[in-house]
Amino acid sequence: MKKTEFMDRLAQELHKKNIADAEEILQEYEEHFAMKMADGYIEEEIAARLGNPAALAAQFDEAEDAPKQKTGSRPLVVAGLSIADVFAALFFLLLAGFGIVLAAAALAFAAAAVCLLGGVSIQGLLPAMPYWCGAILALSLAALAVLFAVGCVYYASFLRQMMRSFGRFQHNALAGTSGETVLPPLPISPQFSAKAKRRLRTAALVSLALFAACFVLSYIVCALTAGSLEFWHAWGWFGN
Amino acid sequence: MNPQYKKGVLELCVLSLLRKGDRYGYEISEYLSQRIDIADGTVYPLLRKLKADGLVTTYLQEESGGPPRKYYKLTQLGEDVYTMDRAEYLRFAGAVRELLKEDDEHEEN
Repeated sequence: MKKTEFMDRLAQELHKKNIADAEEILQEYEEHFAMKMADGYIEEEIAARLGNPAALAAQFDEAEDAPKQKTGSRPLVVAGLSIADVFAALFFLLLAGFGIVLAAAALAFAAAAVCLLGGVSIQGLLPAMPYWCGAILALSLAALAVLFAVGCVYYASFLRQMMRSFGRFQHNALAGTSGETVLPPLPISPQFSAKAKRRLRTAALVSLALFAACFVLSYIVCALTAGSLEFWHAWGWFGN
Repeated sequence: MNPQYKKGVLELCVLSLLRKGDRYGYEISEYLSQRIDIADGTVYPLLRKLKADGLVTTYLQEESGGPPRKYYKLTQLGEDVYTMDRAEYLRFAGAVRELLKEDDEHEEN
């Protein structure tokens, strides 16, 4: 193959593969030919040692693919992300609000249990009942408080993981525009160690069972003590 | 040899050469093809990949009696990558050499 044939075929292949700066590449091969010819090599030999033009173009194609590809323009991504942030912030705020409600419920159940066990009725908020009936009910409420607390821990972890996942998504979207390394996405599900997961599950199951058992038991005890299935009427909880 | 593997090692060789000083494309091509059995032309795509990865930069320099030449220069990133990859390669090559030696001894026995 003569020099012109080699160069023509290389140019053709480079254009076919849409390689940027093909001129610059060709310039370098021109120079290679010039130097080799100055050293006394003949065109055919130089071309043969350079290799197959199509194979070389394929290697340039790979070299193009190798750098991390930039996706989208940065200003556009930044603008899109800021809009997404507003919605995400509202969404997270809403979810956090539900978390606060869960925590408040857990605290309220715990407080009611303590009051029943201690025999105090702050401003008559707790309806009147014999102490032992109240004590069993207090146990069921305490179990319910634990159940809600476990739910709270799960929920908080879920929310935290979701925020981290969103943060990672945002980081990757920005990294993509500047060709930085894209990190692996984070899972949304709560991440606990196996031990913590076991403990939480045990706490949830035990408290659920205890709540159910004590709740039923407290109803039976109340009904027997009051001598009426609708003991709340017997004790005049809702006025006579 | 696996071409993919060879390419990685060739990159290391180019970085090693550029650490000694800036070179133009033809110099690098000659340096490699005299020592390693590759097609002369494959050095240029390799240089382009190194540039795209930010390991080398290029600049043009006037030469007496001729068009300006494109010189390749190692970047700081290139230097860091070279130091890391060199250590990794030497460890790997050393381990492979040991393994193959064991193979020899095994056959002798």
